[in-house]
Amino acid sequence: MSDAAYLSMRGLSKSYPGVVALRDASLDAWRGEAVALMGANGAGKSTLMNVLGGVTAPDAGTVTIDGAVVRPRSPREALGLGIAFVHQELAMLPSMTVAENVFADGFPTRFGMIDGVTMQRQAAELLGRLGCDLPTDRAVETLGPGDRQMVEIARALRRAPRIMIFDEPTSSLTNREKRRLFDIVGGLKRDGVAIIYITHFVDEIFDICERATVMRNGATVATSAVARTSPAEIVHQMLGEADSGERLADPSAGFGPVALEVRGLSGGMLRDIDLTVSAGEVVGLWGLLGSGRTELVRALIGLDPIEAGTLRWRSDDRLRPVTPAGLHRIAGIVTEDRRGEGLLLPLSTRANLSLASLRALLTPLRLVDRGREESLASDLIVRLRIKVSGSAQAVGTLSGGNQQKVVVGRWLATKPRLFLLDEPTRGLDVGAKTEILKLTAELARAGAAVLVISSEPDELMRICDRYLVMSRGRITGNLSGGATRADLLAAVSAAPSRMATA
Amino acid sequence: MSRLGAALLRHGFLAVLVVVFAFFSVYTETFLTSGNLIDMLHAMSPLLVISAGLALVVMTGKLDISVGSVAFVSASSGTLLMTQLGWSPVPALLAALLIGAALGALNGFIVVVLRVNPLITTLGTMIAFRGIGLQLTNAQVARLPEGVRLLGNWSVGPVFGDTLIALAIVLAVHLAHRRTVFGRQLTAIGNGEDVARRIGIPVDRLVFVAFVVSGVLAAVGGVLDTLQIGAISAYLGKGLEFNAVAVVVVGGISLFGGRGSILSGVVLGTLVFEMIQNGLNHVGANPYAYRLVSGAVIFAAMYADALKSGVRGSAAGLLTRQNG
Repeated sequence: MSDAAYLSMRGLSKSYPGVVALRDASLDAWRGEAVALMGANGAGKSTLMNVLGGVTAPDAGTVTIDGAVVRPRSPREALGLGIAFVHQELAMLPSMTVAENVFADGFPTRFGMIDGVTMQRQAAELLGRLGCDLPTDRAVETLGPGDRQMVEIARALRRAPRIMIFDEPTSSLTNREKRRLFDIVGGLKRDGVAIIYITHFVDEIFDICERATVMRNGATVATSAVARTSPAEIVHQMLGEADSGERLADPSAGFGPVALEVRGLSGGMLRDIDLTVSAGEVVGLWGLLGSGRTELVRALIGLDPIEAGTLRWRSDDRLRPVTPAGLHRIAGIVTEDRRGEGLLLPLSTRANLSLASLRALLTPLRLVDRGREESLASDLIVRLRIKVSGSAQAVGTLSGGNQQKVVVGRWLATKPRLFLLDEPTRGLDVGAKTEILKLTAELARAGAAVLVISSEPDELMRICDRYLVMSRGRITGNLSGGATRADLLAAVSAAPSRMATA
Repeated sequence: MSRLGAALLRHGFLAVLVVVFAFFSVYTETFLTSGNLIDMLHAMSPLLVISAGLALVVMTGKLDISVGSVAFVSASSGTLLMTQLGWSPVPALLAALLIGAALGALNGFIVVVLRVNPLITTLGTMIAFRGIGLQLTNAQVARLPEGVRLLGNWSVGPVFGDTLIALAIVLAVHLAHRRTVFGRQLTAIGNGEDVARRIGIPVDRLVFVAFVVSGVLAAVGGVLDTLQIGAISAYLGKGLEFNAVAVVVVGGISLFGGRGSILSGVVLGTLVFEMIQNGLNHVGANPYAYRLVSGAVIFAAMYADALKSGVRGSAAGLLTRQNG
């Protein structure tokens, strides 16, 4: 530990128009050790690793490997420098065999033909090193996520890498597969490989990492020896100090009747979820990334299958059973993925705002009434304070905050009584964040039931009447609106360490 | 889905083939004769070669519908070089193949470098290349020189020479697909272009080469076609691109890329359409009925392909869960 780091990244910066992705970030890794790279979504972990992987060119800063400055300009060059990347999104070729997937970028050949025998044998050897005896001639599409990951790791091992990056490798693994992965990481460390291990699960790093480097807002804010830190401290470093914002709406306890009731919902990683949201109530779904927050929203609206549980929704003053597809039709949905939510970027702000309510704007000849469409759009633009040159301005040219307002505005026009907001303020500046949060509070005041996800406790604390704490696919706590920031942080950092000792 | 359904999907084209074959064999006396079978193998050889080239492009998840026009331009050029400029057959043949390669390279360039959608690219070049060919030939019929024309009747034993050439080419393409780095990496691209890029496969170069090979084999198909007829006409290769796409699809090679076998797919796919056309002739059906029947077959094959990828799609959805 006393000698110089094998890999040293120093003072790396990178900005894109309007966004600073990395500011003066630094990371060291030693051979035979694993360093955990932690941080909330958007903290800059991916950008930092993309610099190392040759995907992104930094604006400033240096990368040295074994004392020599390197500048990988492509993934291929990075591979040549001994850097291998096990991506979270596995790079699998489903119709091809295990062996072909391992050797896809460098088949062994004989007389111009692929040497199938050698390929199968070497693939089996690589998988054997991982303690894995998959049949190498099986199509990858027939494998589960854990086995696919073994194929991905075997492909990385083929190059005998000296630095290996694991990007959230456990997010889709079962517990047994996770143990196997940890054993593999241990084996790589014994072989003298320097490991960079990206994860959101705080407990994992105490099992397999020697150090932890934490990133926040593009900067590396802390590096500590794992033996001398605690889960609570790391969560604290990830989320930072309270940075702003008084409450936009006082938490209240008196709401309308229960509008949405979920009982015993399971499916995917979700286990036995019970929750209710009342009309006029803002419920914050609080948990670290990977806790199942997004999965819960996806399951509620039928994007992921549900294995068990019931959903009931209040209509005509009674709670009646409802299908996820039914909820999808009822709910207003806003996520961080504005394009995915159906903003049509080349079209005008007006067209985007009126899209969901065109049926209400028809003339007797079933054509869209331009006049009423325009007045709907200009009303919303004023009400939401959307900054545009006019309702004809293309949505693609608006700032992120204003685009998000268009998404919210579209829902306002249809007046849904349930809102599902998944990181609605991600990537917005402080002012735009406040505006979106204000809108959220207004929606609730107008009687809508609101379920909101955010990675930033300070944001939730500005609007929520109640918090549900999630961890590993379960709801592990229910905090009142009066909960302090410390309560919230304790709720998530306590849960994983309990699980680690369990 | 039931196991029977899954088996039907996997071997759908085989089932169609057997049914068509059985129907015509029973229904007519002239269909199931060695002479007619040899004729069918002869008649289908140009389409066989062109489909094999197209199949390589389809393997990457792209499409080349300019193959009919490429066949026309290269075969016409070869013929005119002999009749107008007095070239001897071998250089004229080489020139025809070279022109096929050049036109394929142009397709590849537009798709890979200019990043134009392959369907639109080759729709454009399909029209443009045919225009070039019509200008070259003045839309006139040009007969092959006497000596060359005899080649069209060349046969080895009872089997026509072009049948053997076509089968040899299909076999070679099949081996290239199954056993060479080129072929496997093309399949990898069809599995997911972004994934292939991330793994480090030279996607652009390989797609370009696939279009060039498709161009060359389209030229070979055009030459074989010309030799069969003994002359070039303005109609040469017209509609061939759609026949070739139909062959590939019916042969179980997915238009989404990355799946299917060239040898069985192209041979059996071509055979299905040849049998329908030939058989309907023997039945004495209205000559236009062929189009209706092949349209129905193509639709059924496309539907099966969509069903198959739908099954995969939902399975994949279960496996890849976003985290958050």
